[in-house]
Order: sequence, then C-alpha cells, then structure tokens
Amino acid sequence: MSEDETIGVDPKLLEILVCPLTKGPLRYDAAAQELISERAGLAYPIRDGIPIMLPDEARAIGDGGDG
Amino acid sequence: MTDTIHVFDRALLRRRRDRAAAGLRAHDFLFAEAAERLADRLDDVTRKFAFALDLGCHDGTLSRVLAGRGGIETLVQCDLSPAMARAAATNGAPTLAADEEALPFAPESFDLIVSVLGLHWVNDLPGALIQIRRALKPDGLFLGALLGGATLTELRTALIEAELAEEGGASPRVAPFAELRDAGGLLQRAGFALPVADADRIAVSYPDALALMRELRAMGESNTLRARRRGFTRRATLARAAAIYGEKFAAADGRVRASFEIVTLTGWAPHPCQPQALAPGSATQRLADALGAEERPAGDKARPK
Repeated sequence: MSEDETIGVDPKLLEILVCPLTKGPLRYDAAAQELISERAGLAYPIRDGIPIMLPDEARAIGDGGDG
Repeated sequence: MTDTIHVFDRALLRRRRDRAAAGLRAHDFLFAEAAERLADRLDDVTRKFAFALDLGCHDGTLSRVLAGRGGIETLVQCDLSPAMARAAATNGAPTLAADEEALPFAPESFDLIVSVLGLHWVNDLPGALIQIRRALKPDGLFLGALLGGATLTELRTALIEAELAEEGGASPRVAPFAELRDAGGLLQRAGFALPVADADRIAVSYPDALALMRELRAMGESNTLRARRRGFTRRATLARAAAIYGEKFAAADGRVRASFEIVTLTGWAPHPCQPQALAPGSATQRLADALGAEERPAGDKARPK
C-alpha cells in the first residue's frame, strides 16, 4: 500500500473520493497523476494536486485496463 | 437524476466561473457577506468539525472568512470550475474540482458541509441535497446559503420592460431562484433531520444598472439559463433597461439599488441521539389537561352561552 511519495494530492482526500458517475472506488495512479474508475472506464486527471472530478475532463480508458 | 429538467447550462456556468476566477477578489463582496453569515451560525454551534467540505468554494472565500473560526480542523474545498479550485488551493487546503450535481464523495465522509451561494445554479436541487446528506456522517451538519426568489427583482423588471419595449418580446434573463417556502420541505424530503430554512435580504447600491451587470459577470454569476437569448443583447435594449432601472429603483443619492435574498438551509444527517417526533397516538399526557381546558369530542359544536 505504501507509495514512495504522493506529491500533491492530500491523502485525506484520496480516502474519500469516489467516481462521481458510478460512486464506485477509484485507483490512484501516482505516476500518471490520475484517479481511475474501472467501472466508468474513465481516468480523472490530477492537476497540481487538484483532482478534477469532472467526467467531461476525464480520459476514456479501454476496458482491458492498461496495467 | 434521470428526468430532471435542465434549466441551467452547467458547462456554461463552468466557463463563466473559469473566466471570473482570476479577478474575483475585487468582486466577492456577496460571497464574503454570505460566508460571514454562515460563519456566525457555525460559531453558534458549539461543536468541533474534524472534516468539513466547502461545496462551491469559489476562490476560497469561506476559508478566508473563517480564518480558523467555526471549530473546523480540515476544510476540503470543491468547485465546479477548475480555475476557481486552483485559485482556492493557494491557501494550502485540500482542494478538488467537482460538480454539485454529481458529487465524488464516499458515503459518510464529512462532519460538516457548507455551501456558500453555489446551489442556486443546480438543475436538480433535491438530488443535490440527497447527495450532500449521504456524504455527511450521521449527525453531520449541512449549512447552505443560496439566492432566493426576491433576488435581483429590480433587474428582472427593468430587463423585461426594456425588451418588451425595444424588441416586442421577452426572454428569461434572470435565473429563477429557490423560494423560501419550498426550501424546508426540500431538506425534509432529502432526509435531513431538524430542517430549518430562513431568509435574509441584502440591499446593495451601484452607480447604475450597467455597473450591476458588470459586477454579476465578474462574479461569474451572469445568466446561464438554457432558454436565454443567444448572442448579444441589443445596445438599445440594454440602454433602455438601464434607464428604466434608474427611474424605478433609484436610491436617494442617485445610485440604484439591487436586492439579494439569501436563503439559509440548515439540516442534520439523521442520528438516533437527535430529538425524535413521537408516533401519532403515543402521547401519555392530555393536551386538555396541560391547557386546563375542557375536552370535547371532535365534531361537537361548542354550546353558545
């Protein structure tokens, strides 16, 4: 579970965030600075530590998952 | 969530706020005033809030106004506009961009949710209130200020009359706002306990109506009605509206007045420790005894003396 360093996003925020569309869990991709909703197939960007939880700002991801 | 009538264009609202973010500090008096009033109410609640949310934070007005008051340990800031969120984040508080219509929070996340003049642009207010209630921990508090129906009545009148005179028809210019009489019921239907709604009026004066319209734009609060007129308003119509406004709503000093109605909503996420209403018919004392009155069966007419 331990991340080397989580620059930017407040860990308290990561704990409570869910996908705004599915209300399902999000996976934090620290390298890409994205919050990934597998169920919605969307990756929400984190810009300068600010998660942008807006579906029309999110990147669509393939349902195979990109590892 | 499905059958909502989309009165407001949320994408347009976002663009308006994005554009207003950088210069908002010079035009945030109304947000600051509403935040101040909510802060006073928070001071009256003798309770600590470990984890709170400022829903619709603009550029961080509430955090500035609170300045550590209100018993809040951590204040999470959230705005529809990423530019507003970025401006707010400069105070170091955890901040995100999210839409009030689709909240990205797990159930029972917050001890307190405050909304300063954000919810009047929501298409589905009952739905937003339900999401807010779910994001609150049991016995968590929701405190919201939104613009009420008596807001900008002067501007509404002036624009409609000007448009009728100049263009022979009127289009919706000023958003429909929440009515106080509906607000308490909305809270109750959204599942809040101990719901209270009350309203305050704020009167502001401007050099003229055009100055008021410029300020609304600088606040990111100009018309986002879907049914609004596209394109520019004719210069003659605007000039006529300003003239009508000046004639009808002048203050003594030659300025014009504008009124804002702020409806304040208070509700608690239900918890067993809160006062509960008893089931009908479960009373153990007679009202007649308490009043020292004679009890008569329903339907009997009182005998004239």
